[in-house]
Amino acid sequence: MPTNKIEIRNLSVDYTERGKQFNALHDVSFGVGAGEFVSVIGASGCGKSTLLSVLEGLYQAAGGSVEIDGTPLHGTGRERGVVFQHYSLFPWMTTRSNIAFGIKQARHDLSRRERYQIADEFLGKVGLAEFGKKYPSQLSGGMQQRAAIARALAMNTEILLMDEPFSAIDAKNRIILQELLLSLWEGDSPEHRKTVVFVTHDIDEAILLSDKIVVLTAHPGTVNEIVQVPFERPRNRAELVKTEEYGRFRNRLLSLLYQDVAERIGGEEVVL
Amino acid sequence: MTLKDRLLRVAHLLFVILLLVQLLPDRSTKDVYTGALIAFAVGLEALTLALSFLIKKKESLTLLLDIVGFIFVLLTVWSLATAKFNVLNDLLFPAPGKVLHQFAEDREKIIINIKSSLGITVKGFLLAAAAAIPLGLFLGWNARLGGAATYISKFFSSIPPIVYIPYGIALLPTFRSVSVFVIFLATFWPVFAGTMSGVMHVDQRIIDSAKVLNVPKPEMLFSVILPAALPQIFLGCNQGLSVSFILLTSAEMIGARDGMGYYVKYYSDFGDYTRTITGLLVIGVVVIGVTFLFNLLQKRMLRWKK
Repeated sequence: MPTNKIEIRNLSVDYTERGKQFNALHDVSFGVGAGEFVSVIGASGCGKSTLLSVLEGLYQAAGGSVEIDGTPLHGTGRERGVVFQHYSLFPWMTTRSNIAFGIKQARHDLSRRERYQIADEFLGKVGLAEFGKKYPSQLSGGMQQRAAIARALAMNTEILLMDEPFSAIDAKNRIILQELLLSLWEGDSPEHRKTVVFVTHDIDEAILLSDKIVVLTAHPGTVNEIVQVPFERPRNRAELVKTEEYGRFRNRLLSLLYQDVAERIGGEEVVL
Repeated sequence: MTLKDRLLRVAHLLFVILLLVQLLPDRSTKDVYTGALIAFAVGLEALTLALSFLIKKKESLTLLLDIVGFIFVLLTVWSLATAKFNVLNDLLFPAPGKVLHQFAEDREKIIINIKSSLGITVKGFLLAAAAAIPLGLFLGWNARLGGAATYISKFFSSIPPIVYIPYGIALLPTFRSVSVFVIFLATFWPVFAGTMSGVMHVDQRIIDSAKVLNVPKPEMLFSVILPAALPQIFLGCNQGLSVSFILLTSAEMIGARDGMGYYVKYYSDFGDYTRTITGLLVIGVVVIGVTFLFNLLQKRMLRWKK
């Protein structure tokens, strides 16, 4: 069995609020294979974004380890590209400059002209060819996320970390963006695909995009179950959602998510 | 906009009223220079008409015409109160034509004084910005030093810079250098405080975004922190600029040999209130002009803001 691209072992993360220490993540372990698309889902407060912050290198784990290609993770790194929910782009740079700036940080060998050429190429890929000279504030939320994806892809990192990138987008545009991401990621041949860790609370989004889904439960955040997504690629949303299998799979995930809530309501600890 | 929208405006009626008022006989015992007033009004009206055809947005045109209309009303009332009915003391209140005539007559002298005042302001302001922005950037970036520096800058900026003048006179060789020094102090603290507060309050999400891009330290400071802090830096600069003019004109009234403040003080000492009012109005126009240019620069540099 090949070693995983990302290996998370017994990870725990603490945070302090008003002098009290909380366990945000407890004993979380899972691996992400090279070229695998893994979603992390869970109710809000389950620590899924904290988990991603650790992978991004912005947050220190209290215990356990994260390895990338067998090397322990220390801080941020050039092999990882990130898309946040907000403010991935710098507001004072045009869309084009934002992408070129990202490329500059990831690949020092390119000339200024080459950077802008690549930026334009990826702007085209996400359908923003006409909007290169606009500032982020002049774009809609969906367009800003398109540009953020374009930057992450243009940086050509092996790993892509996405922290609820479509959560703040309206339903219709969210679907368009999911399909865009799916087609861009599936567009690479399987051996060249990027390794993706995608955090979301949207079950359909997770199923459509992922090879594997990690379901977290809250208080403290632990892995409830790791589920392989059984659907063939390339996927087509319209056809996929019609199948009976999809409904069954979706229900299974729902019960994994709700199981946690039900237990908490049944038990003493009722947190709403 | 239709031609009617462009031309059928109240401001033009007010212009005609101003002209008609000039037909009334003069009651003032002094020269009132009605010709200068008419020349000015006609010039302003011509400029307004030309702009009426050039301005594209209706709101901007309305604003311009309202301002011009206001000026015509002011001139009409001023002219009625002085030249036409002489209800005010004509030694203390010169007629508008007389002020305009004085301006035309003194224009060379006035330009020299404006140049002197602006030279000092620009020098002091630029020196202060050149010192305050880098210093604020580095101190603000250092969380520990930034905390202390905030309080220290609060202390120093609470001292009204004008009280430095006597000490500055003892310290520095020329009055000009004292003025530059005082404007430097007046601008330095607000710009420094603005820069530091801007740097210290950069949205954490922007910093995170830069961190995950692995932006190296120097580039982080100049390509990320500096532009992110720019709105606050401009806030400080604006504050510094408005204080600068107050200080400069005050300083010029104390001991300068030229400058707009000197012009006003010098002639009011002689009881030449025509020139005093001319000087006051010129200072207003100059300050508005400089502020306008500075705002253009600010708009251009912050065009990415919503």
